Amino acid sequence: MHLSRIPSGVRYYVGEAARRRRAVEDCAISVFAGWSYEEISTPTIDYYSLFEQGMGAEAQTSFRFVDADGGLLALRPDVTSSVARACATLLAEKPRPVRLCYVAPVFHQHPRSKAEWRRETTQLGCELIGASGIAADIEPLVILAETLNRLGLERSYCITINNVEIFNGIAEHLRLNDDSRERLRSLIDLRDTSGLTELLDALGTDARERELFVQVTRLAGKRAIINEARQVITNARSRAALESLAQTWSAIETVGLGESFEIDLGDVSGLDYYTGLLFKVYVRGSGVRVGRGGRYDGLTSKFGRAEAATGFVLDLDELTSVVAGTEFQVERAGAPAVEISLPDAGSTFREARRRRSENQQVRVMF
Amino acid sequence: MLTIAIAKGRLQEQAVQLLARAGVKIAASDLASRRLTVDDESGRYRLIFVKPSDVPVYVEHGIADCGVVGRDVLLEANADLLLPLDLRIAPCKLVVATTNDTSLMDGGMLRVATKYPSLAAAHFGARGVPVEIIQLVGSVELAPVLGLADCIVDLMETGRTLKENGLRVVEEIIDSTARLVVNRASYLLKSAAVAELIGSLSAVLDGGP
Repeated sequence: MHLSRIPSGVRYYVGEAARRRRAVEDCAISVFAGWSYEEISTPTIDYYSLFEQGMGAEAQTSFRFVDADGGLLALRPDVTSSVARACATLLAEKPRPVRLCYVAPVFHQHPRSKAEWRRETTQLGCELIGASGIAADIEPLVILAETLNRLGLERSYCITINNVEIFNGIAEHLRLNDDSRERLRSLIDLRDTSGLTELLDALGTDARERELFVQVTRLAGKRAIINEARQVITNARSRAALESLAQTWSAIETVGLGESFEIDLGDVSGLDYYTGLLFKVYVRGSGVRVGRGGRYDGLTSKFGRAEAATGFVLDLDELTSVVAGTEFQVERAGAPAVEISLPDAGSTFREARRRRSENQQVRVMF
Repeated sequence: MLTIAIAKGRLQEQAVQLLARAGVKIAASDLASRRLTVDDESGRYRLIFVKPSDVPVYVEHGIADCGVVGRDVLLEANADLLLPLDLRIAPCKLVVATTNDTSLMDGGMLRVATKYPSLAAAHFGARGVPVEIIQLVGSVELAPVLGLADCIVDLMETGRTLKENGLRVVEEIIDSTARLVVNRASYLLKSAAVAELIGSLSAVLDGGP
């Protein structure tokens, strides 16, 4: 095999690209720190069972290998699972809420889609553990918005919000078995309106309700979409979620972020994982989602301590490529380097050290 | 501006006609030319003409916001796209076909020649039939005739090509028509333009102008 070969789905960053990526990372981490999120660094390898518990079927995309004692290990496919475990164990005594952030590469053997070709991606993430209610739902959204604004993407991004309990209530109300539930979910997710109409017809729903339901899940919108949804979604479980979403929306408007947010009742991904609010981040210039998050109250109980939790991840690599086309300022390394070239190594480096003690950039000439 | 990728070949002409009725009109001189990208008369849409299997690629990457391509191609590509509209043009079926004198269930496994390796593997896999998939790029009908494969999995429009090559349909796998596909990010970030296109296409499909 040629040593020049490189596996698919990984890349180098050099020079300008590396500086830009570092600047995006620094910008995000400083925003997270500004909201009192403390950095956590999690193990790069861990037991596969941790990720299986934490992510469900998605963990199967991880790189797996066998430990010396025969245990199955995986190269970290996400960070949240590990953070949730730490909160239930290592950080169990820490006063709540716990606010943690990270910047960490995650690895997948198979990329999620062809456009998301990377198998190594770096996640910028925040997790807020041990807090529930509207305020705890809003905090990650506000941090996300500030991060994107500071990256100079102010009018280029859109964050969609939804609440998974709206769909769960509907599936329960229609008494769907697992197959029809997944079929309904998939048709809503694909915005396949004709397929959705057919399925709802077969499930014996009222014609007018059917039309309204297809309409509210088809397109994202602002507050009006909640009012339309109220007319057709009447079961108690979905209604409670819809009212909670309405409150979240009001808060977003009050904060002054209504312009950048949309309500997308058709976002029905990750239903097994999220337990309430969920959101997605889209940025002009990228064909894929650059971030996602939501409430995952079910996760920490798997590690022995049930508590409310919410969080998000942004894709550093995708953000870096989006930012490349904007005016986001990547700081150069200050004044031009002082070139040092003396006859012998000793005096060269004595001079270089003196310059460095004054924080000058030096370049030793050979 | 919305960029729409159109699958060249089988459904191209019908797709362009349907789009014209929905208000995406391309000047005759542009259509007659061999250019692979043309803008419509309003300047709000750009059409690009690419190979069918490249349509999901362009749309998934967001280089094209929308695309028009057969369901068969989409299922084979397993692309992560939105499918808001069945355009009901270019109907065809993906079928299993073999020569008249071949019986498929004789041996312990099947050799299947196809341009649709994933769909073929999934079809036979679901019923526990071991298969060797032989991927071809064209003239798939030849494979069973010449003994390269026991059967083929291929697209059938009228059935004429199969008949003329002495093949018969054993099974139908899926029905396919052309679909409008949309990139997930474009659907949100260009929501007004995408909704307008979907709206005018639906109006045409429902018997409008």
